[in-house]
Amino acid sequence: MNALSDNTIMLRVKAGDLERMGLLFERHYRSLYGFLFHMTYHREASEDMVQTVFYKMLRYRNSFTGEGEFMAWMYQIARNVLKDEVKKKGKLPGTHHDANELADRLPGGASADEHLEKKQANAGLYMAMNKLSDDNREILTLSRFQELKYQEIGQILGITEGAAKVRAFRAMQELKDIYTKMER
Amino acid sequence: MNCEQYEEKFSDYISKQLTIAEREEFEKHLAGCESCMQEFTAIQQVWDLMDEIQVPEPGGHMPVKFKAMLDTYKQSVDEKKEAFSIKELLARLWQWQPRWPLAYSLVIVLISFGSGYLVFHASTTGKQDEQLQALTSQVHELKQTMMLALLENPSASERIKGVSYTSEIKHADKEVIDALFATLNNDPNVNVRLSTLDALTHLAAHPEVRQGLIQSIIQQDSPLMQSAIADVMLKLQEKGSVNSFKQLLKQKDLNPGVKDKIRQTITQLI
Repeated sequence: MNALSDNTIMLRVKAGDLERMGLLFERHYRSLYGFLFHMTYHREASEDMVQTVFYKMLRYRNSFTGEGEFMAWMYQIARNVLKDEVKKKGKLPGTHHDANELADRLPGGASADEHLEKKQANAGLYMAMNKLSDDNREILTLSRFQELKYQEIGQILGITEGAAKVRAFRAMQELKDIYTKMER
Repeated sequence: MNCEQYEEKFSDYISKQLTIAEREEFEKHLAGCESCMQEFTAIQQVWDLMDEIQVPEPGGHMPVKFKAMLDTYKQSVDEKKEAFSIKELLARLWQWQPRWPLAYSLVIVLISFGSGYLVFHASTTGKQDEQLQALTSQVHELKQTMMLALLENPSASERIKGVSYTSEIKHADKEVIDALFATLNNDPNVNVRLSTLDALTHLAAHPEVRQGLIQSIIQQDSPLMQSAIADVMLKLQEKGSVNSFKQLLKQKDLNPGVKDKIRQTITQLI
């Protein structure tokens, strides 16, 4: 079966076939949710924002030209939704909490013991991620968790591929510095 | 290549986006550069640790919520389309309906402004008097026509309005005077006749107006009018009216009050 590309589907949505947006939702809502979760560490807020992003894609479907990748367009809208959230609440929903509160919300393993162990092992890194600037956490999320190519990241952030690589490296350095300091 | 230039490469290396040849070249640099090796190893450790950061499963309700949102949105788009077509229809109607009246009004406004401009602009060039006179006579004519038209109006108050215009007409011509007398003698409403009498009194400088008023004395049957006309004659000191008053006194059904008043007037006039 020859699957249609995201761009082709989105252009059909733009032409008025709104029902097709369902297909794009199926394909992307999980990864979009992942991105928003890493940016907020807040499950409900991330779920809500996924809906908002898809609503905005419907509403502003005419701004999709088909020249760039659908993925880049989607992430650009998601970034705007995040910015709106910061404007509304002064900060991202789940960030800048104290360690205990954060640890409580971490996903864990099946058993309670395992859960506790994982919590402790991960808490430091979560805290370090949490202390990163939003910009640095964003680029790390896009490359490390969303597994996007730097060329795609550049498209999303509106910078060149080379600049995206350098910024990603700087973000990794910052994370490592924060983490090592906390371990000591 | 210096160390800084390997930063870019490292981003590719760590996310496994280097070709085999590039990777070998990068590793060769690391082997020969202690500070790079240290930095990169530390980052690599944190990077590997990030695997443990887990994302909780998104709620199973998400696709359902999305479907509901999509349906609502589609509905709102359909409604907008409908509202739009109604709007369009109204707009078309508006375009049709007042197009001619609008054009007509616009022409009138333009003519008014144009003539205003001509009159006042010409005044600076010395033709002021001529233009003003022409305009005054035009206004005069207009008022006269309007007055005559109003006198024919079935409403008494409109006819009174028409009569009152005569005070603004400085040079009443025969047509106006005839019309006023016709009203004075024939109008069914006494109030209209009284105002007409008042208007004619102002025009008493004309001999034909005095004559007409005297003739009108015997034609009035309302006591109000009879007594009013006696007042006017006294005011004008019109001796020619005495005969008409004597004739009026001969009428059998004359109001006693009016009879007294007319006798008084006659003695005062003689």
